[in-house]
Amino acid sequence: MSTSEALAKAQVVAEVPQEARDKARQLGWEDGLIESALAKGFSLQEVWQALRGNVTGDQAKQFLAGGQMVRPEFKWMKVPTEWGIKARASDPELGLAIGDLNVGTYGDIPDVWYNRTEIARGSYPNPVNEDMGYTIFEKAIVWADCCVPLYEEAIRDRWISATDLPWASLEPLADDIERAVCQVMTEQSDRAYFEGALLSGWLPEISYGYLELKLFLSTVIYDVARHAEAFRKRALANGGGLGLQAPTDYMRSAQEARSYPELINILFVQDSTLLTLFKNGELFAQNQLERDLYALCAKDRQRMMDYQVERLKHYLFKHPERREEQNLYFNKGENRLAKDWTDPVVNEPLAILLGGGKGNIDEGMKKLRAFRKLQVQDYVDALAKATFYRTNLNGRLAEYLAD
Amino acid sequence: MAATPLTSSGLDLSWLDLYDEPASATPGKKGLTLKEINLGRYGDAARGKGDMTTRMRGAISRPGAQRFGPNYQSKADVWSENCIMLYEEATQRQWSSARDIPWDTLEELPDELERAMCQLCTMLTEVEFIAGDVPGQWMPFVSAQDFEAGLFLMSQIMDEARHTDVFRKRALANGGGLLAQGAGLGLRTLIEARDFTEMSVLMHVQAEGFVQSMFRMGELIGQTDADKRIFRMSAQDESRHLAFGVMHLKYVLDTEPERREELHHYLDKAEGDAAGGGSGDVTFPPVFESLCILLGGGPDKFDEGLQKFLLLRKRQINEYLHRLEVAGLGDRRQRVGPLFAQFVDPV
Ligand SMILES: [Fe+2]
Ligand SMILES: [Fe+2]
Repeated sequence: MSTSEALAKAQVVAEVPQEARDKARQLGWEDGLIESALAKGFSLQEVWQALRGNVTGDQAKQFLAGGQMVRPEFKWMKVPTEWGIKARASDPELGLAIGDLNVGTYGDIPDVWYNRTEIARGSYPNPVNEDMGYTIFEKAIVWADCCVPLYEEAIRDRWISATDLPWASLEPLADDIERAVCQVMTEQSDRAYFEGALLSGWLPEISYGYLELKLFLSTVIYDVARHAEAFRKRALANGGGLGLQAPTDYMRSAQEARSYPELINILFVQDSTLLTLFKNGELFAQNQLERDLYALCAKDRQRMMDYQVERLKHYLFKHPERREEQNLYFNKGENRLAKDWTDPVVNEPLAILLGGGKGNIDEGMKKLRAFRKLQVQDYVDALAKATFYRTNLNGRLAEYLAD
Repeated sequence: MAATPLTSSGLDLSWLDLYDEPASATPGKKGLTLKEINLGRYGDAARGKGDMTTRMRGAISRPGAQRFGPNYQSKADVWSENCIMLYEEATQRQWSSARDIPWDTLEELPDELERAMCQLCTMLTEVEFIAGDVPGQWMPFVSAQDFEAGLFLMSQIMDEARHTDVFRKRALANGGGLLAQGAGLGLRTLIEARDFTEMSVLMHVQAEGFVQSMFRMGELIGQTDADKRIFRMSAQDESRHLAFGVMHLKYVLDTEPERREELHHYLDKAEGDAAGGGSGDVTFPPVFESLCILLGGGPDKFDEGLQKFLLLRKRQINEYLHRLEVAGLGDRRQRVGPLFAQFVDPV
């Protein structure tokens, strides 16, 4: 017995869904035709496929009277999309990358994307569709060319906190040092998790035209998720624990963003200063594990900054009339981050680590000031690379630079 | 705590006294995983009340911490007992669509088979795109008190990005291209969910369950080794997403049994009134026809393909009901929608 026969047998007086009846009426199926198909041993599934395939009432009736089966026409085989694509890995080391797919029309990343559905870029649109509710349809808002290679690099360079860090090598530290490490980890864990959750929430806003950017953002989200748990693991692995939660001023400013340019520019401020922190992690690290941890995070965060710089540059080039407006978002981000930096629970642990202990905290504070200067300098340099020259840098940050 | 000039005169240092319960997690067989650090006051069992700030579970509350907008206050709203394990498994089992698929073994296929595969991939790359947006949409509502559930969802976003890209790669790697958009796939339903558990049961359990049953038939659908491997690798990821959904549903039913009827209601809507196959609907003609061609081995063997397609539907529905039963919703069997009911195996 074939599956369809078995199905038909199992199907005691099947209830016919209203949607199927409505569709049948629309196609001119007379009343009772569905029932007579079922009675002849066709499954409801087959009837439904015929309806979805737009088999008319006449065709169905003829077929049920012993006539020719209506064969599917495979219309989708003939849609006028670009055919004959044989993408090959341009860099055999990296493998077949998403960049290798951007050939012919598939590589057209339009300045404005008009389709409001979730259609895959390059496929053939249905004539009538529901709006999926995306809000970002303009390339200049989100795009940077580097997101295409960065996606594959992020995948190549992924790491695993559980096994790629030498947990067994941890040795007890002096209490003040361990607690300082734990406080830094607590703060960074909050910040990383928050950034991941925030960026995740923006994904449904971005239309399919900018697919590669969304793929890249997915790697960023996964990266910061890993940072959040790796920092937490470090805090709980060496006799310490979690300390006080991170200050909320800066993060709230990112949460408050009303548009993607605002969001991403506010994030720029922290993405840049955190990259400097992690890149110089050996200044704060107390052991090999922490050195490795900071170095791995820095590598991940470098990709985010590469994107940040290129996106901003591209955006300003496309929207010179909105250049001044961007200052408002940087003002806000800088202001809130500078406020976070005045918090003793943010400063003191770093100063203890830089100074080498609580007893040496004055020395540590001096070093921290010098380090803040480096962070601000790197940040200003990153903005300049994006052709954005801050004329009104936040006063607190400017003070560090003046040191 | 006052702001301080960076000199010792204004030192606070009170934060040094916050550590009352030393934590020394040691690595287990799989390294230092979330399971090893799920201890004492940091563990999920010690979760206190909800928190609308960004405070990760176990960190000390900061006086004056601002709220970030509403999120779920009760653990059951987002929790799944396996999320800790699933996140770590996700990190261990990431793969690369660039390097882990033997692209160079792709062989030229008869035109209609290549077109059918490309049509299926066009639909899948569309479905997987939404599969990343949906967990993304809910992340801001997952409290950092239940951060392991959030970490899992962020790993899912990564998985779905890979799925989106691997099916696009397949469509463009063997002399084909993308074909017809899979409109009408029922994907809006997933975005329309207004509750995390509603979303999870519709996406993780139903839609991803259906996709999983299809991927598991990848040996029959795939025409080349590369195709089969794509389905196998993706199925591995989908089983995590499904497992999260099943165990989340179970957690809700175990801890909030009063939600049973409400959850049935979402499924009544998804299975009942709509005649289609749920989200990621394989009854959409281009998908249905391409699957029949692939399963049959060519358009001339369409009828054989149709029989296998019906078998696939049967598997999808029965595996779906089985998963619901595991989650504690075994009574779904008696009220499953009409287009599903025809496939239900007798108990
Ligand atoms: Fe997927
Ligand atoms: Fe999935």
